[in-house]
Amino acid sequence: MGEEIDNIENFEAKETSKKIPIGWQLLFWGLILWGIYYFVSYTPAISGWSQGKAYEESIGRGEAVPRP
Amino acid sequence: MSDYQYDNETVKGFIISSIFWGVVGILVGLWISIQMWAPSWNIPPYFTFGRLRVVHTNGLAFGLGIGAIFGICYYITMRLTKRPLLFPKLARFHLYLFNAAIALAALSLFAGMNQSLEYAELEWPLDVGVVILWVIFAVNIFGTIIKRKEEQMYISLWFIIATVITVAVLYIVNNLSIPAGLFKSYHLFAGVNSANVEWWYGHNAVGFIFTTPILAMFYYFLPKSTGIPIYSHRLSIIAFWSLVFAYLWTGAHHLIYTPLPDWIQTLAIVFTIFLIAPSWGSVVNGFYTVGTDWSKMQTNYLTKFFILGITFYGLQTIQGPTQGLRVVSQLIHYTDWVPGHVHMGTMGWVTMTVAASIYYIIPRIYDTEIYSEKIANTHFYLVLIGQLIFSITMWITGIQQGALWKAVNPDGSLKYTFMETLVRNYPFWKMRTVGGVIFTIGMLFFIYNIFMTIRKGKSLAAAKA
Repeated sequence: MGEEIDNIENFEAKETSKKIPIGWQLLFWGLILWGIYYFVSYTPAISGWSQGKAYEESIGRGEAVPRP
Repeated sequence: MSDYQYDNETVKGFIISSIFWGVVGILVGLWISIQMWAPSWNIPPYFTFGRLRVVHTNGLAFGLGIGAIFGICYYITMRLTKRPLLFPKLARFHLYLFNAAIALAALSLFAGMNQSLEYAELEWPLDVGVVILWVIFAVNIFGTIIKRKEEQMYISLWFIIATVITVAVLYIVNNLSIPAGLFKSYHLFAGVNSANVEWWYGHNAVGFIFTTPILAMFYYFLPKSTGIPIYSHRLSIIAFWSLVFAYLWTGAHHLIYTPLPDWIQTLAIVFTIFLIAPSWGSVVNGFYTVGTDWSKMQTNYLTKFFILGITFYGLQTIQGPTQGLRVVSQLIHYTDWVPGHVHMGTMGWVTMTVAASIYYIIPRIYDTEIYSEKIANTHFYLVLIGQLIFSITMWITGIQQGALWKAVNPDGSLKYTFMETLVRNYPFWKMRTVGGVIFTIGMLFFIYNIFMTIRKGKSLAAAKA
């Protein structure tokens, strides 16, 4: 079999091997920040929000299904 | 490297087995897609939708998916560790046991044996068999990696390790059950706990069968087939660790607006949305890699498989997390949108990447070239069109369905009966079958191409001998 042996150097670009695009970094940290905001806003023990309450309010607004 | 010779036979065995189960699963898929609009295609008791649907999902996830994963992970691991498998005979036994297990699984599902847990339908004796299969796989993969001859571990090996460990934990925990005879058992967990464990398992089956091993293939075969090294090693490592960390928290997004405690749902949504970042780490890396030389899209026929595959992965990992949001979930959950979403992942990302990997492997193993690049291109465009028709029709009808279900009169009563919402699916279900037929024809081109390549390789080898 004429198979060449894998050389790890051919898998990883040298000059850019440590680069992380700035747009991706913004996405990464942005989503973590958003996660903290969302967790605080929609956890009953922290914000007082609950699925049940949201449902009751939606009934008051004449909707079939609750909106958070 | 004739060292790999014996193991290559095992790799080949897994690939051919996965293709076989793939054909079965796809044909059953076509059949049940017809049953949606032509109920007479249900033939009780064995060929009703309820039984065929699980044969379709199990056949493709475990037969095609896991079969290809076993074979291709063995192939990748040997090459990245620069040595044959540590236990080659065990790997061969693994192949036979795998096929026996899938055959028995299909028969038991046809017979109606079912734990009633999605993607964990197999009854407990088969679960025991699956665990044995997985342990064999783990022993061989870890043994080979421990005894590796290349010190540095490329990113693909990390994804393979994560797959082996996580699937083992998920499968064992979710299948814990109390047997009530040989063919019947009850889930160890009850009620909300059962649902929570089931979807922790169910969602991570997507994560660690349809994602991590496929990314291992993507990271390995993209540089191999294009000759372009991966843009950023660091990005691939960060994407890997954040992906495996975040995935395991997300299962409860399948249980939005259920009796599951609100805070668990919220926590799952947080991790689900975060998952966009690690997923897109691989997407960005793939695009930056090929971005250094876009001409490869024309000069190398496999590049477009990988680029389209990773594009669908990127779309899937935006659409999926978005579906986890309460406001989106309340519109599309339980509608036909969901199969549209799932099949973009399975047909667009998984099958595309697996097929490209097989296109790469088979000619290498037989020391020849692919039988026909033209047929491979035809295969590519047919599966692309078929999959787009499938997903787009289901998205449209899913939104329609959700909107009709939610529509209320001023007095709060429902505007439409269930029947009224159902019949509007028919044209879309019919179009979906058309998409499925096109996809299937594409896959037949693929299989023909692979078998002709094998034939060519065999006759070349015979001529040399």
